[in-house]
Amino acid sequence: MSVGASASVRTRDALSRGRDLAPRWGYPLFAVALALLVSAGLLALTGKNPVDAYRALYDGSLGSTFGLSVTLVRMTPLLLAGLGVAISFRAGVFNIGAEGQLYAGAIAATATALYLPGLPSVVLPIVCMLAGLGGGAVWVAIPAWLRAYRGVSEVVVTLMFNFIGIYFASYLVNLDYGPLGLAGSAYPQSNVIPSRAELPIIWPTTSVHAGLLIGVFLALVLFVVIRYTPFGFRLRAVGSNPEAAQYAGIPVKRVMVAVMLISGGLAGLAGASEILGLKYALYANFSPGYGYDAIAVALLARNSPIAAIVSAAFFGAMRAGAVQMEQTVGVESSFVLIIEALAILFLAIGVFVQRRRTGPDDAVKGTVAAKTPAETSSAAPDMETA
Amino acid sequence: MTQTVDNPEVLRMEGITKRFPGVLANDDISIDVRAGEVHALLGENGAGKSTLMKVLYGLLQPDRGEIFLHGGRIHISSPRAAVEHGIGMVHQHFMLVPNLTAVENVMLGLPRRPLSVLDRAGASRRLRELSAEYYLGVEPNAVVENLSVGAQQRLEILKLLFRNVRLLVLDEPTSVLAPAEVEQLVRMVRMLAAEGRAIIFISHKLEEVKEVSDRVTVLRDGRVVATCPTDEPSSADLAQMTVGRPITIGRRLGGRASESAATELQLEGVTGLGDHGVPALVNVSLEVRAGEIMGVAGVDGNGQRELAECIAGLRRIESGRVLVGGRVVEGQSRDLNLLGFIPEDRQRTGLILSFSIGENLVLKSFDRPPFTRRGLLRWRAIWEHARRLMGDLRMRRTDPTIPVAELSGGNQQRVMVGRELQGDPSVVIASQATRGLDIGAVENVHEMLLGQKKRGAAVLFISTELNEVLAISDRIVVLYRGEIMGEVRPEEVTIEDIGEMMLGRRRTA
Repeated sequence: MSVGASASVRTRDALSRGRDLAPRWGYPLFAVALALLVSAGLLALTGKNPVDAYRALYDGSLGSTFGLSVTLVRMTPLLLAGLGVAISFRAGVFNIGAEGQLYAGAIAATATALYLPGLPSVVLPIVCMLAGLGGGAVWVAIPAWLRAYRGVSEVVVTLMFNFIGIYFASYLVNLDYGPLGLAGSAYPQSNVIPSRAELPIIWPTTSVHAGLLIGVFLALVLFVVIRYTPFGFRLRAVGSNPEAAQYAGIPVKRVMVAVMLISGGLAGLAGASEILGLKYALYANFSPGYGYDAIAVALLARNSPIAAIVSAAFFGAMRAGAVQMEQTVGVESSFVLIIEALAILFLAIGVFVQRRRTGPDDAVKGTVAAKTPAETSSAAPDMETA
Repeated sequence: MTQTVDNPEVLRMEGITKRFPGVLANDDISIDVRAGEVHALLGENGAGKSTLMKVLYGLLQPDRGEIFLHGGRIHISSPRAAVEHGIGMVHQHFMLVPNLTAVENVMLGLPRRPLSVLDRAGASRRLRELSAEYYLGVEPNAVVENLSVGAQQRLEILKLLFRNVRLLVLDEPTSVLAPAEVEQLVRMVRMLAAEGRAIIFISHKLEEVKEVSDRVTVLRDGRVVATCPTDEPSSADLAQMTVGRPITIGRRLGGRASESAATELQLEGVTGLGDHGVPALVNVSLEVRAGEIMGVAGVDGNGQRELAECIAGLRRIESGRVLVGGRVVEGQSRDLNLLGFIPEDRQRTGLILSFSIGENLVLKSFDRPPFTRRGLLRWRAIWEHARRLMGDLRMRRTDPTIPVAELSGGNQQRVMVGRELQGDPSVVIASQATRGLDIGAVENVHEMLLGQKKRGAAVLFISTELNEVLAISDRIVVLYRGEIMGEVRPEEVTIEDIGEMMLGRRRTA
């Protein structure tokens, strides 16, 4: 093969990657910008000055050292759990049970730190994190098995397992009868973990801990796994067309189970890092819904692990800045939920419109496309009105 | 056939133009249909037939052009509006609810006053009358999923008659029917026309257009090539108008396999279950030798898919056994030197449409060298492999990184076939490999399969198109309800004989 030809392969490869990246980043950024704009209008309608509000939001999240540190702390569990959700979506599996898996990971990490304190100090936090990974994976194992081998919708089962996980944690730390409950405490919580089990603080004088580094590192790892490994190829194939994957000899069920275990494990890591890096004890209801927000993180990142870093930072910043916005301008902190929701909504509309636009195009180019299941099903209701 | 040119005009579409991004699907198309006329719309896939009919049925709005009904200009905003104007369509894929009865399907969507009670008995009576009047034989209380395909199609037509539609559009109605059912359909279409209804009959099959229609409009590349009485041009002329160049689909044998050639594919009393757990293959035995094409004829849904999947190891064999290249099939093989399998639904099971051409070409081999080394995918090897293969497939100019979804049906099938045949397998299964392809692409697939035969592969050619089975097979078996009705040689059998076998009459010769 000549040099020229291989160069052209490289350009094409790069081009295709460019084509791959442009909509992935373009739509989300546009959606966020539009959400901020519309929200500004809403603020103005309620008699608040949007400029002042957004300045407070910015100061409280990115514009000050303290704000930035809060953003980074908030984004850590969002990133880890968001990666888990993203990889499952990528494989066409809708694991929306990150919240329960996060609690399972937190329980496993806490128990390990409390009951195995004899381990050497460098090893202990690592073992605790691995316990968190395992806890999350165990929590998704039953839904994964049901999904792959019994055809039970993972959406329902993982969602139900959230409640089991949350209340199981509450039971464990119950002050009266919970096996991990700390008698005499004001709020249901476990004993405080030994300091040797803590994740190190990576930004002195703030609460930013090593969980963030783990999250960013795992995002890079997942990027490589998805793009450059046979497992990633299988995962994408199963996510794009499980039937064709089956025909091509890819073990679809095994891939599904593996992806769900990884997904749950990542959510478990989010819970473990929250305990080991920030809270230092297991509290009842300690997560303000990080596992649910992780779904939004993955959606906004369009299931790309690299984009998930930015997406998690956005959600982290919103939550961090909300406090300052409430204190200085008097805008309810829950207002950022509106911004977040609008961003997801606009993104969904953008993607939908894009599909609509390219739809008939495909129908003409791929001559048989008129027979694709998607087309037939979308056309069916129209025709039944006849 | 009667002369219909002087009958009053029912429909006129004038200067219809519809553009999709990058494609001019309809370019200034004008067509008129008269009362009592069967007007055939002939053209290859992608010629613009479907787009034109979607415009007529209100599913698409044209960029330019006007529609006149009985001389008055109308605007068709939706299928409901089309039906209100007396225009009805029988789609290629039926729009029936399988678990409702025939009469319930007919009543679905009928205009009625809010809160009024459903008059099921009245509708049943009327349906029974209509069914008798047109010899359609549809029982109002039969559940649709228990009806044969032909009966479902007749029910679709009844749905339109119930609404007293004056203009019927039939979209490739014969593609799902056995020869005898085709005859019945043709009789019914003529009967509807004789009552003064107008009928648009969409097809890409010349013979049936010749048989059923009064006039024909030929479309090619979104334009009208000609409109003329059907009996004026010869079949050869019509074919040439459709494709744009002379073609011949005749019998093409690439020499017969020697009697001593090794048996590469062998089925011994194979029984297999369908998706719903009922036997779909019953005691099937056959042998295919190297250098031989064995045709499998039959009406769609008589065990063809299950047969292919049992051989490919994708479906459990309940009893009996399958030998490929002398080895018993146990589970799925990804060995491209042993078995090439072109599944019947390339878009759902053969290809991943959102994946690039290059990725689809390595779908069975991406995790082996040279595409994976030391645990990592080697994209350069994947693209180089794609470009080499695409050269052989005459797709040299196409970028291997574009998604397969952006390719034409013919090129999608090239990718599919190219992937499965790259290892020169000893057994090739081609299941409905030409379905939905235009004549040029069909020829291309036939050539590739004949090439495989010449190379020494044992080819199992499964198709519901009797003509092509007759054209390229050395021997033919006919499947009916999962059983082999008999084996024939194409040069010794008539279409009528095979047609009988396709309807379940065993050949006793």
